[in-house]
Amino acid sequence: MKRAILVARGELTLLLRSRVAALGLGTLLALSAIAAATSYAHMAGERSVRSAQQQATDDLFAAQPARHPHRVVHYGSFAHRPLGVLAAFDPGVDRYTGTTLYLEGHRQNAAAFGAARESSGLIRFGELTPAFVLQVLTPLLLVFMGFPMVARERENGSLVPLRALGVQPGELLLGKALALAALAALAMLPTVAALAAASLLAPTEAIGAGMIALAYALYLLVWVVLIVAVSGLCHRSRTALVTLVAVWAGMTIVVPRLAADIASRTAPQPSRIENDLALQTDLRRIGDSHDPNDPFFADFRRRTLQQFGVARIEDLPLNYRGLVSLEGEALTSRLFVQYALKTMGIQRRQVTLMDRFAVLSPALAARRVSMAAAGTDLENHWRFLQQAEAFRFDMVQRLNRLHAEAVDFADDSARSRDAASERRSRVGAGNWAAIPDFRFVPDTPAGRLAAAGNSFGMLLAWLCLALALGGLAARRMRAEGP
Amino acid sequence: MSTLLREAAFLLRQRSAIVGVLILTLLATLATGLGLAEVARQQDSIARAVALQAIDEAAVARFVEDGGSAAYYSFHVAADAPSNLAFAALGQRDLAPFIMRIRALALEGQLYENESTNPEVALPGRFDFAFVLFYLAPLLLIALLHDLVSGEREAGRWTLLQSAPRSRGLWGARVLVRALIVFAALGVPLCAGAMLSGAAPTGVLAALGVVALTVVFWTAVSLAVARSGWRSAVNATSLAAIWFGLTLVAPSAAHLVVNAIVPMPQGAELLRANREAVHAGWDLPQDATMQRFFVTHPEWSDTPALRQPFHWKWYFAFQQLGDEHVARQSQEYRDGIARREALARTAGWVLPPLGLQQALHRLAGTDGTAQLAYQQRVREFHARLREFYYPYMFNEQPFRNTDFGLAPRFDTGAGSSRASGQP
Repeated sequence: MKRAILVARGELTLLLRSRVAALGLGTLLALSAIAAATSYAHMAGERSVRSAQQQATDDLFAAQPARHPHRVVHYGSFAHRPLGVLAAFDPGVDRYTGTTLYLEGHRQNAAAFGAARESSGLIRFGELTPAFVLQVLTPLLLVFMGFPMVARERENGSLVPLRALGVQPGELLLGKALALAALAALAMLPTVAALAAASLLAPTEAIGAGMIALAYALYLLVWVVLIVAVSGLCHRSRTALVTLVAVWAGMTIVVPRLAADIASRTAPQPSRIENDLALQTDLRRIGDSHDPNDPFFADFRRRTLQQFGVARIEDLPLNYRGLVSLEGEALTSRLFVQYALKTMGIQRRQVTLMDRFAVLSPALAARRVSMAAAGTDLENHWRFLQQAEAFRFDMVQRLNRLHAEAVDFADDSARSRDAASERRSRVGAGNWAAIPDFRFVPDTPAGRLAAAGNSFGMLLAWLCLALALGGLAARRMRAEGP
Repeated sequence: MSTLLREAAFLLRQRSAIVGVLILTLLATLATGLGLAEVARQQDSIARAVALQAIDEAAVARFVEDGGSAAYYSFHVAADAPSNLAFAALGQRDLAPFIMRIRALALEGQLYENESTNPEVALPGRFDFAFVLFYLAPLLLIALLHDLVSGEREAGRWTLLQSAPRSRGLWGARVLVRALIVFAALGVPLCAGAMLSGAAPTGVLAALGVVALTVVFWTAVSLAVARSGWRSAVNATSLAAIWFGLTLVAPSAAHLVVNAIVPMPQGAELLRANREAVHAGWDLPQDATMQRFFVTHPEWSDTPALRQPFHWKWYFAFQQLGDEHVARQSQEYRDGIARREALARTAGWVLPPLGLQQALHRLAGTDGTAQLAYQQRVREFHARLREFYYPYMFNEQPFRNTDFGLAPRFDTGAGSSRASGQP
């Protein structure tokens, strides 16, 4: 061990003296700082814009004049997708989900707008975020710094004298790995500082921040061991470099895209419009409120009359039109939930398939932990969509109940023809503030990370694989020895 | 010629070079295949939506009584079929919907929803031909060319080669063979894909031009570094760093700069303002609404006066006024996107790999500009829908079931090649 530390110290001294290494490390730290600063500023801005939008939406809703409740069902509300503190570290899917979801009666809309559609094609090149720096950039820099570490000694013929000094191949590799790991730690420093600052500002996020730091530490360690092992296995440093750049491109660039494409082909998802149309067809099959002789609504009318013990809908104590709206919304919402679950099932299957590709790339495992902990993964998005749908249903049904209870049936029926009835069919402005506002409840850190357990396992498996490769390199070197 | 053949033979004897070329060919073929499959999926999806819409239309026809309710309940499919070159560069078609259902109601609320793609699938980007061309082909060129000079020097043959007659021709042939092989590894799958999708020859030629320019650019960069006189490993490191900077870092930095220069108006504010203006229609005096509508639409001002609290023409008048109320905001939103696109194109002139990638997406009709053009066509279609339905409401013309067949249809542009670059 002592000798390994000596080797590491020697390697670091050499690196610090090399101008190329200093330039590389300087560039990395600069990019890392730029990424952290811009991502933090952007996300802080985005968070405050979205909460201001939500406030403006809620204020407008509460300030409506006297209106017929069904008008308000169509007026609806908006849910603005909120962001957690750690989204500044890894924005994840945020640019691709849409930010604004319109919530109204009879319809389930998709989220609108979002950075991906507002940012020209440039966004598809990847964004300069701290997560991107650690997942993609840092490993390449480590490759550049680490590829010659062992191969150079072999090329210079200094392996034999080192053996003569009593340095075992294992110790040599360990020493080189320690030196590279020190560089990796330095590269992680800005990130760790940013995560620590985030944890101080929002102590509930500390566990998530810790998990992110741990996952990236493991991920970079995998790279460190892998790089030193390949450097030890290759006879020439150029071969080591070409091999490592190919491995890097495969793992961080090719596999994630290929995984996404294969997953979306294996579990294809119908387009939103197809889903809408299929849902409409299903809905008509169950009951068509436009058809006066529709069996479903005829049955509902019979049941309602029976329940209140009256013969005509005019004699009901509640406004029959409001009751039909309540029943109709319950019907459509059941289908909305059913269809959303189907889509969610498809998307979860796609993600499970993509996660399996972590066997080919540890970057996928690191990304999984990072997005889960930051609350910017698919699961968190579905949590938002499901809470928004639950809110939409509750809001619409409160308005429908108001319709049934506070609007007179005769006025309601005559309001299109008679101005006085129209006036009487409006309910007071005081009713709108009583409808609750939409507030997203994020998952607990433990809940968010439950799904990331496998990915930690995957990172550990990768570390074992890299270590085995290192062992192989050490054995080969022992065999070559004097 | 014999020099070329000899160099080709040399290259074929290098096992690592062959493996590299084979992998690139394989990946380009796979990407083309995946792209073609994705385009076929989009076409099927449009066909299914059109068929389902016909069922929906028949169901609506059973209960509508007049032009107003027909306009209110009828959706119209407006689909944007993929071009014949879309398979090569799938672009933004996974995020923005390529099928919309449009009603004659206020339009602004109908335009901005996203496609419900899995965002985790969208996040890494597509594995299409453009990806192989702009990300992976340069790496192979770098691997083939970085040690052109240093490799010979390190093998001790440099002085010998320099002293040989016609040594310049030798280097030229060596470079040409390598560049041509990479061009072929990319061009053959691209042409095969273009033939399968029936792309127009001009479009294919233009796409091949983009491929050729990409190969030329990276060959030139590799040569510039290879001639520097450094060791092979230093060359390879520098080239990989240049590739990394030009392909990954510079575009994302450009993205940050472009977005900082052009702030976007809040889409949510546009939607809210549109909703407020439309719904205020229910609370304002009917006559005031109609008078405001007649100012901009005098052609309907002679129509019969309103006699009851609800009339479809009043309802549609305040829907349209709602759109007009936010016309400026909506234009600013679109202008913002267009300005960002324009700035990104400027960045493309500074960063050739970026510019070439944009050119390919332009040819494929899958970039942001194509999205804006599609949205513009939807706007024009919506205007035609209003023109179609308004006479039934304003002139109280009866709406017969056969009138559904007279409604305007959106031209999906199926089978067209947008290779010439027009939207």
